[in-house]
Amino acid sequence: MPLGILLVLVIGGIAGITLMMHLAGKSRVTQLTPDVAKAAWLRHVPGDKVVDVTITNDGHTALIRTPAGNGLVWSFGADTVARHLQDFDWMDHPKGFEVRFHDFGTPRVLIHLDDTERQHWHNLMEPA
Amino acid sequence: MTDQVTFPDAVQWAVPFFIAAILAEFLWIAVKGKGGRYETRDAVTSLIMGAGNIASGLLLGFIAYAFFMWLWQITPLDLGTSIPVIVLCFVLDDLRYYWVHRFGHRIRWVWASHVNHHSSQHYNLTTALRQTWTYTFTFMMVVRAPLILLGFHPAMVLFVGGLNLIYQFWIHTEAIGKMPRWFEAVMNTPSHHRVHHGRNARYLDCNYAGAFIIWDKMFGTFVPEQEDDRVDFGLVHNIGTFNPLRVAFHEWVGIWRDASQPGLTLRQRLAYCFAPPGYSHDGSRDNSQQIKAKHIALHPEDRGTPGFEHFRADLPKSQAEQA
Repeated sequence: MPLGILLVLVIGGIAGITLMMHLAGKSRVTQLTPDVAKAAWLRHVPGDKVVDVTITNDGHTALIRTPAGNGLVWSFGADTVARHLQDFDWMDHPKGFEVRFHDFGTPRVLIHLDDTERQHWHNLMEPA
Repeated sequence: MTDQVTFPDAVQWAVPFFIAAILAEFLWIAVKGKGGRYETRDAVTSLIMGAGNIASGLLLGFIAYAFFMWLWQITPLDLGTSIPVIVLCFVLDDLRYYWVHRFGHRIRWVWASHVNHHSSQHYNLTTALRQTWTYTFTFMMVVRAPLILLGFHPAMVLFVGGLNLIYQFWIHTEAIGKMPRWFEAVMNTPSHHRVHHGRNARYLDCNYAGAFIIWDKMFGTFVPEQEDDRVDFGLVHNIGTFNPLRVAFHEWVGIWRDASQPGLTLRQRLAYCFAPPGYSHDGSRDNSQQIKAKHIALHPEDRGTPGFEHFRADLPKSQAEQA
């Protein structure tokens, strides 16, 4: 196939499919509830015990407390990703906190926090 | 020796079909309200990975082709290009695919290339296009050497490989349940391949087939889809990025970080490169067998069922895990 036609097909195909999906509402992000977040954590760590779940007001991130330590579950498109809070850095961000994992495949997550929850999450992330 | 043999690049010619089929599956799911899921960024990432795969083939394909042509020069055999020879080449190349694919799940160096195909938590026709950019660096092209030395022309071998990839496109769907029984018995199908994409303990490291599922049945790696264990798609540890560069290279970076950490023996460094995924020198990670063993510890009722056959139901726990 001539390279020019191949390029038009590939670029046009990707652009068209992207637009169609977005207009069809397929860009919506999963909303976490305590049950959804707990199920997502147990999907990641089968057999673990969840002591407590704290969800951000925007419903996109949850802090999971377990006997072995804390973890995060966050919305990832229509799905979720979960990680133990090990080998990471976190810092203030204008929109909340930014957590940086030392993992090329899961580099960072931005926890959106409003003013009413920022201090509480600060305490959760850095217990005394 | 036939040098002037040309075959079309089947994958490039299939691009319009890929686009049309994705649109059809998307509309089917929208109309029926079942049969799979689509998410914009996931699909876009898969499509860009597919485009990158074609680009990497254009840029790096000459390496494998030069190697194949060198083999073609030294072999005294030439089977020609008749239809029966092309069919035989397709079947034997599918056997080659089975082993390369199996190596791709059991050798971390090869997994680093293949992992991106499994990195979506979705399973739809765009997932089929989430292909590697780094296959050349696995050196798995050597597994095709016997075919060429047997007298199959390199252009034909690459042609049937393209047909194999096109065959595998349509099986990446949840819109099709089961095919007729005779077809499920011989061919790779959406049901068999859904199992291959599962992150459930039961479904790890099985159903490596390309076109013919008979290879898995012959070599003991076949696991049928279970109605009571719905496939959960993705990786054991799902990645948290839609960035195609990170998707393409994250496992290579992981290998480098693991193998270059201070204080390891040479054997441990090599194990981080070539042992099955999940290896760690300090036992901090689980490979697929350890994940299955942990599952059986939590769910002893699954002992001896498909995917857990080597945890035999009639053996005490410790003996079964050693078996």
